[in-house]
Amino acid sequence: MITSIARKEFAEIVRDGRFKWTAAIMVLLLITAMMTGYQKYSASIRIQQAAQTGTNEQWLDQGDKNPHSAAHYGNYAFKPAGPLSYFDNGISNYTGTAVFMEAHKQNFAIGRPASDQSAIARFGDLSGATILQLLLPLFIIFLGFTAFSGERESGTLRQVMSMGVTNQQLLWGKALGIGVAVIIVVVPCVLIGALALSMAESIDHAEGVGTRLGLLSAAYLMYAGIFLFLTLAVSAWTKHARTTLMILVGFWAFTGFLAPKAASEISKFTEPTPAFGKWMADMRAHQIRGFDGVPPFVKFAQYTKELFKEYGVTSVGELPMYFVAVRLQKLEEYDYPVFDQHYSMIRDSYAAQRRVQDKVGIAAPTLPLRSISMALSGTDLIQHVKFMTDAETYRRNMVVKMNDYLSKASVHLNETYSSSNYMRADEEVFAIVPPFEFEPPELSAMIDEHRGNFVLLALWLAAAIGLALFAANRISLERS
Amino acid sequence: MLKLIISHEARQIARTGALWAILALLVGAIVFAAWSGGRSINRQVEGAQAAETFEDGLRNHMRKETEDYEAKVIAEGGEYQFASVRHSPGSGPPQGTNAGAVGAETSKYVTLPPTGLAALSVGQSDIQLNYLPVSMATTLDVTKNLELENPVNLATGSFDIAFVVIFLLPIFILAMSYDLLSSEKERGTLAMILAHPISIRELMASKIISRAAVLLTVVLGFGIIALLTVGTGLDTADTWVRFGLWMIATLLYSMFWFALAVLVNVYGKNSASNGTVLAGIWLILVVIVPQLVSMLATTIYPAPSRMELTIAAREAQTEAEKNFMAKLDEYYYDHLEFVPEGDEKAMDFLTLAQANNNSIEKAVRPLYDNFQAQLNKQEELVQRFQYVSPAIMMQLALNEVSGTSANRYEHFLNQVYVFHDDWKEYFGTKFLQRYPLKPADYEDFPAFSYEEEPFTAVMARLMPSLLGMLILFLSVVLVPFLALRNYQVAAR
Repeated sequence: MITSIARKEFAEIVRDGRFKWTAAIMVLLLITAMMTGYQKYSASIRIQQAAQTGTNEQWLDQGDKNPHSAAHYGNYAFKPAGPLSYFDNGISNYTGTAVFMEAHKQNFAIGRPASDQSAIARFGDLSGATILQLLLPLFIIFLGFTAFSGERESGTLRQVMSMGVTNQQLLWGKALGIGVAVIIVVVPCVLIGALALSMAESIDHAEGVGTRLGLLSAAYLMYAGIFLFLTLAVSAWTKHARTTLMILVGFWAFTGFLAPKAASEISKFTEPTPAFGKWMADMRAHQIRGFDGVPPFVKFAQYTKELFKEYGVTSVGELPMYFVAVRLQKLEEYDYPVFDQHYSMIRDSYAAQRRVQDKVGIAAPTLPLRSISMALSGTDLIQHVKFMTDAETYRRNMVVKMNDYLSKASVHLNETYSSSNYMRADEEVFAIVPPFEFEPPELSAMIDEHRGNFVLLALWLAAAIGLALFAANRISLERS
Repeated sequence: MLKLIISHEARQIARTGALWAILALLVGAIVFAAWSGGRSINRQVEGAQAAETFEDGLRNHMRKETEDYEAKVIAEGGEYQFASVRHSPGSGPPQGTNAGAVGAETSKYVTLPPTGLAALSVGQSDIQLNYLPVSMATTLDVTKNLELENPVNLATGSFDIAFVVIFLLPIFILAMSYDLLSSEKERGTLAMILAHPISIRELMASKIISRAAVLLTVVLGFGIIALLTVGTGLDTADTWVRFGLWMIATLLYSMFWFALAVLVNVYGKNSASNGTVLAGIWLILVVIVPQLVSMLATTIYPAPSRMELTIAAREAQTEAEKNFMAKLDEYYYDHLEFVPEGDEKAMDFLTLAQANNNSIEKAVRPLYDNFQAQLNKQEELVQRFQYVSPAIMMQLALNEVSGTSANRYEHFLNQVYVFHDDWKEYFGTKFLQRYPLKPADYEDFPAFSYEEEPFTAVMARLMPSLLGMLILFLSVVLVPFLALRNYQVAAR
């Protein structure tokens, strides 16, 4: 019985001219989005690899100079595109792509693509993810909103009910019919996307692409299921097809457009991030007055005393290490806790904002899906934060190595303690700093982070099915 | 008769729960948007103030030291001397006498002031930093900083009044008018009404007018309230002219969506099918077409890679350092008057840094200009393609009216570049001459004041969008009113 209901529903949908039109538009958009996304992805990977190689060579080839000057010359970390960024570009347009790693300063990532795009880029990226998150639900609503209420209006629901079909058979049959109609449109596009991925040149850094794709499919399938059953639920509940449509389109606009923005504004209010100017002024003032209120120069004077005591010396000239380098490194280290505190304040506020936004997902299923999709595509905040942390770890290590080398190699300069008399290091010395390599966050950690979002989606699906069953069971011969 | 129908319609829609729900949502959205837009602009203004206060504080501290030093020199006799750059406390003349230290190690924050309407349309102001630290660093350094904002929020976009008007208002308009004729037809009342001495055009017009009156009163009324609460510069004509333009744009945009509802009603079938068609058109015009145009712009005129720019800038830097002496000489060749006496020039870190910066700037400038050129081409393409979607026209118009457009920012940047050159010139010259800065010189430091672009320039960019919306509205509204004569009144 279910199959014949499904067959009827499917045939009806497919014969409708509107289905053909909307399906054609969806397919066309999906393919366009995937293709341009893929093209941009492979170009960006090529450029990133060339740039990283280039900057590593520049580091070695910077010319003979003092190791500390070399640390000032520094190095760049270039962020590789996320493994599935051609499907979901996530926040990539709004995060910097290059971090300058230099002595004394922790820097933000610069080169944000959105800065080089016109204002209408703010309408969003036409990506596979956007289409599946926004178009697909509307497509499902269009296919399904008349399922019950349309039949009720035309009087056929009564007829069907009188034939002894159970309410549940009717519901599952219709769900199946609409589901198949959706699948025959979406699945070919997804396959094309997967094919493009398998042709991608540089996916070696993409850990567990298979797992990522599997989980992505599961999440989007759940999302589609939510809309399918919600559509059927509302359709079974309402008297008129136009009311069904009004409610469903209203919900779609709410979850797809209104809720994300509202959630973002609410999270900005409850977990504020300081403005750049305020933050920068606070941090620099903190640097000057010292992390614990003792200015770096005072602290270093104390340290010098201890150092003299430790080595039992009375002048810089007797120290077994180059005093200038020790001072440089110490001053560097006094800044660590200041940087850590102020930079993590930003990171923490972003993380807290995400948690607030995830909570809004209780009312809007697009939010958890969006988070999951970005995370699995490697284009979310976790990925970016990991990149920034890797860069800072690299920076500190680079500076330590250079200052250490200077400290050992220039001991003889202690006697003539002057800045104009300094050693020069060459490529061989610079090579003790290994090239920067970005270690993307573990997939399992990412999944753990988004466990709550998966649960939310599952709950939404269960609730939608429950609602559909409840609404379908309400239908009786008298009330049809 | 028209009046009667309008008042009847008004009473009728006032009795439906849907209207009140829609109005409540709309008012709620406007209030929320005004609140969040206001917060966003306030945050920028506070950020600018904090940064400026800090940097000015550093300079004032240096000035204080030179004052003390000057007093000491006068009291004890001796020469008022220039201090070399050092990074630890020491004796001798203070750092404030060294123009290089003052000009390179403190920054002057220059600010793009928000217009009175900035809170209504955040536009690009959340990704551009509206206050920039000008020092003797390179242009790249001056412009590299970004406003701190969670990238997830940037990708999501602001919930400002522009969003309410562009995205939500059409939904409310369509929800109120998707079944203008079709519902009457379905209920069978249309034929009855038309049995009275009223034409279907008049009926249609009165239905639209009554709905538009309700919605637009709310939008414009709360728009004014929003302006009064979160707008600034309410005593200037500029703000009110901008608000007038904001209202005109909103009016034109809303009229287009009402006209579209009429069009679909005239040609459409039943209410449900009208609803699907209108929802689909909304999605296409407000979401998909803008994304397609954006994709087109970035595909045809892609920005050069920032990564490649970075590599090139470094190439120039390495080159400069390697030819250290040569470059230094070239620099002095450009500034013969500054060649210091003796050989110490080679060992002077700041001189080297400045020579370096200059050669980096020279090498990178053309590459950097490329970015602006590509961005301008993208903007031009968007300008040309804006007519395909009223949402694009509206977005451009509102950013323009609120002064949060890329164009105004570029206007600001150009002034910053000039000021940056002045700053470098002033401090660079004094530094290279080893001129000891006196407290009185602190009064003569270059100052920046933003000069607003002429209003004609704003209008010139705004007019195409406004005219485009007007033409779009007229062409959409004319068709159904001509076609109404053949409207099938009774349900088949």
